[in-house]
Amino acid sequence: MQVIEREKIIGQIEDLKKKHGIDRSALLPILQDLQKIYGFLPNIVMQEVAHSIGIHPVEVEGVASFYSFFRTKEKQGKYVIRLCQTISCDLAGKQNVARQFENELGIKFGETTRDGMFTLEYTNCLGMCDQGPAVMINDRLFARVDAERASQIIADCRRDFLKSDFPEVVPSDIKKAGPILDNGIKPVESLKKALKMSRSDIIATIRESGLKGRGGAGFPTAIKWQLAGAAKGAKKYVVCNADEGEPGTFKDRMLLYEKTDLLLDGMTIGAYAIGAKKGFIYLRGEYLYMRKYLEKSLSKRRSQNLLGEKILGNKDFSFDIEIRMGSGAYVCGEETALIESLEGYRGEPRNRPPFPVDTGFQGNPTIVNNVETFIDAALIISKGAVWFNEYGTEKSKGTKIFSISGDCRQPGIYEFPFGLTVTELLQEVGGEDAKAVQIGGASGHCIAVKDFHRTIAYEDLGSGGSIIIFGPETDMLQVAKNFLEFFVEESCGQCTPCRDGNPKLLEGIELLEKGRCSVTYLNELKKLGETIQIASKCGLGQSSPNAFLSIIDNFKSEILGRVPEAD
Amino acid sequence: MQEKDKLFKEECRSPKSTLTAAVKSPVNTEAIGALIKVVIDDKEIKVPMGTTILEAAKILGINIPTLCYHADLCISGVCRICVVEVEGYRTLQASCAFPITTPIKVHTHTRKVRQARRHVLDLLLSNHYGECYSCVRNNNCELQELANEYGVDFYRFGHVETPTFGTDNSSYAIVRDMDKCIMCRRCVRTCIDLQEVGVYEAVGKGAETRIGTFMDNPMAELICINCGQCINRCPTGALHANDPSDAIWAAIDDPTKHVVIQTAPAPRSAIGECFGLEPGIPLTFEMNTAIRYCGFDRVFDTNFSADLTIIEEGTELILRLYNALVKKEPEFLPQFTSCSPGWVKYIEHFYPEMLGHVSSAKSPQQMFGAVIKTYYAQLNNIDPADIVTVALMPCTAKKFECNRPEMNDSGFKDIDYGLTTRELAQMFKEAGIDLVNMKKSDFDDPFGTRTGSGVIFGATGGVMESAIRTVYELITGDKIENLFDHANIVPVRGFEGIRYAELPINKVGPVPDLLKSLLPDLDWLKSAVLKVAVCHGTANAKKVLENIKSGGKLSECHFIEFMACPGGCLGGGGMPIPTNEKIRAARARAIYAEDESSEVRKSYENPAVTKLYSEFFTEGPCSHKSHKLLHTHYLERGKKLV
Repeated sequence: MQVIEREKIIGQIEDLKKKHGIDRSALLPILQDLQKIYGFLPNIVMQEVAHSIGIHPVEVEGVASFYSFFRTKEKQGKYVIRLCQTISCDLAGKQNVARQFENELGIKFGETTRDGMFTLEYTNCLGMCDQGPAVMINDRLFARVDAERASQIIADCRRDFLKSDFPEVVPSDIKKAGPILDNGIKPVESLKKALKMSRSDIIATIRESGLKGRGGAGFPTAIKWQLAGAAKGAKKYVVCNADEGEPGTFKDRMLLYEKTDLLLDGMTIGAYAIGAKKGFIYLRGEYLYMRKYLEKSLSKRRSQNLLGEKILGNKDFSFDIEIRMGSGAYVCGEETALIESLEGYRGEPRNRPPFPVDTGFQGNPTIVNNVETFIDAALIISKGAVWFNEYGTEKSKGTKIFSISGDCRQPGIYEFPFGLTVTELLQEVGGEDAKAVQIGGASGHCIAVKDFHRTIAYEDLGSGGSIIIFGPETDMLQVAKNFLEFFVEESCGQCTPCRDGNPKLLEGIELLEKGRCSVTYLNELKKLGETIQIASKCGLGQSSPNAFLSIIDNFKSEILGRVPEAD
Repeated sequence: MQEKDKLFKEECRSPKSTLTAAVKSPVNTEAIGALIKVVIDDKEIKVPMGTTILEAAKILGINIPTLCYHADLCISGVCRICVVEVEGYRTLQASCAFPITTPIKVHTHTRKVRQARRHVLDLLLSNHYGECYSCVRNNNCELQELANEYGVDFYRFGHVETPTFGTDNSSYAIVRDMDKCIMCRRCVRTCIDLQEVGVYEAVGKGAETRIGTFMDNPMAELICINCGQCINRCPTGALHANDPSDAIWAAIDDPTKHVVIQTAPAPRSAIGECFGLEPGIPLTFEMNTAIRYCGFDRVFDTNFSADLTIIEEGTELILRLYNALVKKEPEFLPQFTSCSPGWVKYIEHFYPEMLGHVSSAKSPQQMFGAVIKTYYAQLNNIDPADIVTVALMPCTAKKFECNRPEMNDSGFKDIDYGLTTRELAQMFKEAGIDLVNMKKSDFDDPFGTRTGSGVIFGATGGVMESAIRTVYELITGDKIENLFDHANIVPVRGFEGIRYAELPINKVGPVPDLLKSLLPDLDWLKSAVLKVAVCHGTANAKKVLENIKSGGKLSECHFIEFMACPGGCLGGGGMPIPTNEKIRAARARAIYAEDESSEVRKSYENPAVTKLYSEFFTEGPCSHKSHKLLHTHYLERGKKLV
């Protein structure tokens, strides 16, 4: 019996290797497919995968246990219910929904019902922050779920009559469009124009535009492309970072769907500029439902010779794009972690230097850019650097797409030029009575009213576009706690300050909740926060205590000396 | 004989962490731009491009603390204790992982740096369960040392009060106490990169990350080869050997027991390190006295059974060649050595289909055990049931080997306890022995002859060198000194991962007495070229085996020496901690010096061995009786764990 089982598994793995490739970089796609077949990754499956691609079983387990979508111990239910636990959904009433799911199913989160029908899990940001609380069941999304609907959903599942809120892909919720979203450019126009330009002209135009990375770090795109273009390497890669995991961000989800052609134009232009033949879209696992749609766009482009050999008759330029799915790991949004993940490893950020532009995917020069950056780049090629330059501030050119959620009347997607003040932004979205605003998601800063005059731009309040608004009733300590819980879970776990430091900060919050934290100890924790900021290995670790530190600073009077609620 | 072959360059498989983190240093440091100026704490130095800050600081004599860094391993950069301030950088940089490519100014002890290091220590200590005084690594622990250096006098962020994982004592060789783990991942890198065995990996994510074995299986049920290299590189007491010294003390204290110890060549070259000596100072004869002082009844030299191994294994090789070349029978060639139990378990797990190549001769440890409980027992009229055999070994895998169920050919457990160098040093300390100032004394007879051919078993290439000395002289009747000065067979020495050599047989002599019953003549070996190879570290073993499987150059070899541990036994998992290339080289020098000063340097000339063949194994090597006592068989274990 066991032998037969093993033979069957080996056969399946061989088939998957034909589909995904034979080396380690195929590990994640293979595991994703196997998990679909078995509902989890049984011991024997992990062993056979390991032996088949020439690594050790424990390495496969290391990878599988890193990504939250994989299960190694027990089979998942037929319906995996993932409730978003991130701040915006939390503010929108996640607690009640969670309680009701537990009541309906008689299990706790993290468990599977005995009949194997349901698994209840928390997940981090589903990118539905403006329509929370959000629930994902298998690959279908549900928005604005309340306790009553929770029970309805369970009933529908039981009857195998599950109707998603969304037909295929999440509809966009654009509240305010600007020059980027309202661009009037026909698909492929940018690419056609770019292919008539020289590589150096493309990079020069991007440089002139002053475009900086839209993911949040703000590295000048032209420099990245130029370094990768100049780096020696037979193979070069273009990677689109569509691992939009920052709590409070959902603009890439919209862009991937609404501006697909511009994105693919941008990636193809990038490939042309640096001399790459292969590209990846690293799509986060939570956006699985989008994959089919993107695949369709890719094959359409292949049939139009916009991808593949000798693109548009250009005999020196061949390029194709592969979609790779993430599997639930926020840290993979960090570019070196993303590359590790593409290579089939745990998504652990690398030491830098060297940087991906010379030592990226499998050691080759690689550019990793955000979805929005590629779209901006494509438009800049079409419309010129000056068009882009007109918007924004001296140091932050252009407009930016923002994901706005939390306590405001009009949450959704907004396009604003850089340089907007927080006050102006709050007026636009109907959040004038805000007590605090979180700029840049969990890794950003939480600012109070006294700082609302500050501007949103790389030189002042930089961000990847996540803005979360906290109304007057918000308990800021709970906000800090939610963010820290996020980092305790999503740290990759390799470096000491981030792995072991964040739990200490979280313990500190728990002391504060009980009104049991001295100012001396709080100051010690603040110092620890500073250490985490400067001594962690990657950007995630370095920004993980930001929210904690800014909330402690800005809302100290609200936080100290609490009288705990009676148990 | 050819010079060392450069065909097999040392190339660690390794992974991502080295491949991507290393900036290649220029070959020509004279070239313009090859050297870069770096200022560390106002001291200036020019270093080749790609040098790390840590390396540059070392040259300048500036001490930067490290935990996850290990000279033998690829860079990890995870513990963050080695952070420094680099001007122009907002964040602190890990000096072990920062390659210098442009002129920089570095500060190694600013307020920020000191605070960060102290915090890293505080965080590690807060999750580090246990008390130093009840830890096997007390006084030899990198975490403890740093806590001391940084003046840690209280647990700033608390301290865990109860164990989370508990201790895994399942393995004969390696004890895992994950409550002491500080997540430096040296064991992961050792096991995956250095040894390519792959027992450990980081599992989980975030605060839940830990070092795991596959599906948390206990050590005894894994593909672990017991080499103990992870122990040698663990900065704390999270990994240590399974210590039998209590049972040994009990045997010593039992008047009815005759406790006999054999001491392998490598421990004597290194035990001084446990007593504060520089590496490379052998204490062979002081150790003999100390062992007797502890109460052991006899102390024997494993060199005796090493020589015995050469006779058995060498004869087996000649017989295999005879079968293949003269009788034209299918025969497994090259023959592989079998002295290293880590290597034996490696091939049992990973290449079971190639087990036919492995010499059936037992390792010196096990041969000695069988001889003691038979020949020695008869000779001295002692009931073998009352003999307790202890083996002092540089090795943790020897603990597993002596517990293999088939190792009881004497009718008893051939070796009762495998004891490591570290554990014997601990016993000495417990007995209040000042080893360095002990009087010298010799080994006990009847196995007391000092032979160089046995002692070099302790270094990689040593088995091969001894084998060549004996086999060459037995076949040709000529002196090996005619080919190599002082019989030092330099081409098989050194620390290159894989070494290859050829030895032409220009003439053959008459069949020596020892082999007369086995071979009619040796003419068939005339003008043959003996091809041999040596490798150490199982990652290199893998390369060799793959080369053979693919019909590469090494498949033409006749004899290959394999050692599981980098450096051979002197780098064994039971040797004093720390280990690095320099320390291993110093131990090797001590071993080769002892060889040089020995009167007998060829195994077949060891009088104790010839006596054994004339009195006990009267039918000669590879005969029925020697097969029963001195040879063994292996298990096809495979890699599967279910």
